[in-house]
Amino acid sequence: MSSLQLRNIEKNYGNYHALRGINLDVAPGEFIVMVGPSGCGKSTLLKSIAGLEPITSGTMIINGRDVTRAEPGERGIAMVFQSYALYPHMSVAENMGFGLRMAKRPKPEIDAAVARAAKILRLTDQLDKLPRQLSGGQRQRVAIGRAITRAPEVFLFDEPLSNLDAALRTQMRVELSTLHAELGATMVYVTHDQVEAMTMASRIVVLNQGRIEQVGSPLDLYRNPDNFFVAGFLGAPRMNFFEASVVALEEGWVRVSNPGAGVFSIALRPGARLEVGDTVKVGVRPEAFHLAEEDDGLAASVRLVEHLGRETIVYADATPLLSVGSDTGTSNVTIHLPDIVGLAAGASIRIAFDPDQAYLFGGPDDQTLSPPKASAI
Amino acid sequence: MSNVWRRHRGWITPAIFILPAIVLFGVVIVASSLQSVWISLHEWDGFGPMQWIGLGNYEELFADPQFYTSLKNNVIWLVIFMLAPPLGLGIALLVNQQIKGMRIVKSLFFVPLVLASVAVGVVFTWVYTPQFGLLALLFSAFGASAPALLSDENLVTFAVVFAALWPQIAFCMVLYLAGLNSLSEDLIGAGRVDGARGWNMLRHVVLPQLTQVSFIAIAITAIGALRSFDMISVMTQGGPFGSSSVLAYQMYEQSIFSYRFGYGAAIATILFLIMLVFIVWYLNRIMRAEDRSA
Repeated sequence: MSSLQLRNIEKNYGNYHALRGINLDVAPGEFIVMVGPSGCGKSTLLKSIAGLEPITSGTMIINGRDVTRAEPGERGIAMVFQSYALYPHMSVAENMGFGLRMAKRPKPEIDAAVARAAKILRLTDQLDKLPRQLSGGQRQRVAIGRAITRAPEVFLFDEPLSNLDAALRTQMRVELSTLHAELGATMVYVTHDQVEAMTMASRIVVLNQGRIEQVGSPLDLYRNPDNFFVAGFLGAPRMNFFEASVVALEEGWVRVSNPGAGVFSIALRPGARLEVGDTVKVGVRPEAFHLAEEDDGLAASVRLVEHLGRETIVYADATPLLSVGSDTGTSNVTIHLPDIVGLAAGASIRIAFDPDQAYLFGGPDDQTLSPPKASAI
Repeated sequence: MSNVWRRHRGWITPAIFILPAIVLFGVVIVASSLQSVWISLHEWDGFGPMQWIGLGNYEELFADPQFYTSLKNNVIWLVIFMLAPPLGLGIALLVNQQIKGMRIVKSLFFVPLVLASVAVGVVFTWVYTPQFGLLALLFSAFGASAPALLSDENLVTFAVVFAALWPQIAFCMVLYLAGLNSLSEDLIGAGRVDGARGWNMLRHVVLPQLTQVSFIAIAITAIGALRSFDMISVMTQGGPFGSSSVLAYQMYEQSIFSYRFGYGAAIATILFLIMLVFIVWYLNRIMRAEDRSA
């Protein structure tokens, strides 16, 4: 049985469709991360699951129970807010025990639940303090503790780490993953940070304009994005795109032409419909590029080099390789090299990519037309 | 010159900005308060020479039965006025609902704030008029005859306070409406997720966020009750036989009508001391709140 089921969830604000036909099944113990650009509806969806936002139509089932019309407190969920939303006048212990107190549980039971949560989150020494006496990271843990004491079917997290500084964020990310493993609880987590998504999720849900674009494991989404949007959204630095036109079609292959990259072949997924003359988008991950010999690949000039220690990221202008949406005539190509490279801004280089590593997008919804790639693991 | 300026501008600029307020406050409030205390130690008709009588005015005041009537009425004002903050909160919670047409209701509750309190006093005097007033009509509908509230020495103060309460409730409502608009949405959400509803939501999540507003509402209402003057002046002139007078009105009556400025100043000084209790409480709370946020 699923822990959480969403069936055709729709949410309209007047004429604005915030959520369109959301369907999702979450298995018990899964860590679902919802990502998407600002305004994609991920926070709205989370608040709808919590019952804080009414939905226009659709059904929500938590642990087999239809909660579509239920009050937030009766849904078996707990939520951790971006602002923490701790009750400022209550001590840490009162904050964590408030949900059970509202449920009229006996005091010893509340105390035991609070003590247990405090122990997990190393808050035992802070129980009598007020939220304003705590650091940002401690407040965050109190907010999580408040969720734990409620022992919910589903934990909801609304960008919980975005108010923390970088070092603390990395630490809390690891703690949250550990906590998830310890509790074995179902968690739904909203973030705009794809590193959080890639590292924490059992499955990632990519949302765009109120729709689910794709659901899958992090590596699966990274290796095999369903469409242009997902390919561009996941991965940092971002995938490189350029337009090309179809010059010939063969069985399982398509030959495309680009003014800078020349004519090359890319494998085609069975059933993909293309015709000669169609415009397609070719996507190449920064790490799929490599530096080429003098007479190979295409010319580019280095604009900026980022040395990350073991790796190097090169931002280069390649003329006339056109990126989609570029209006300058030149295009920005990002190249992620796995070693230290002695390059400086202004250097002329030649770059090349393996067509097997390239993606092809086309058709009305910019679907992926290249065949699935074998997963790395 | 510019060197001097550069070295001292850290305090000169704020000083220049604060100066007008300091001068105004000094002349209108501090100096005239001190002068009042000085006058209260004299016998003075407002025109002739002042004659030093020490604490004579105070001795007379503490033996004056009218003083105790006024003091008792001030206590009645204070106690009944304390209904204004909770009633204002109740109405604010009511009109804060997202219901169609609520804006019109909200503006209706807002009306008494726009009226001059003299106008409110006159309107209520008409309401209370025996035989013709709204109250008399109401009573006659049940076959009873309305009491002449404003000429009954036991009821008159309550009748006046009731009239004054109306704009005071509206004022508290506006304060609370502003407070309700600045509630943290996430905190309400957290309360709902924790299962708090109705009274529990109000008691544990909403009200704690309104403590600052409540405290301002209570302080301003208390001071409003103590300085009540205009409604009494319009509705009863302190009558019948001084039974609805309060300290502020007695002070005015003694000074202006009886030409006893020294005695009036003594009443003013006592009233000031009573208000000081609330003012000190208010300042204390403000400063503690500022310390906490600092």
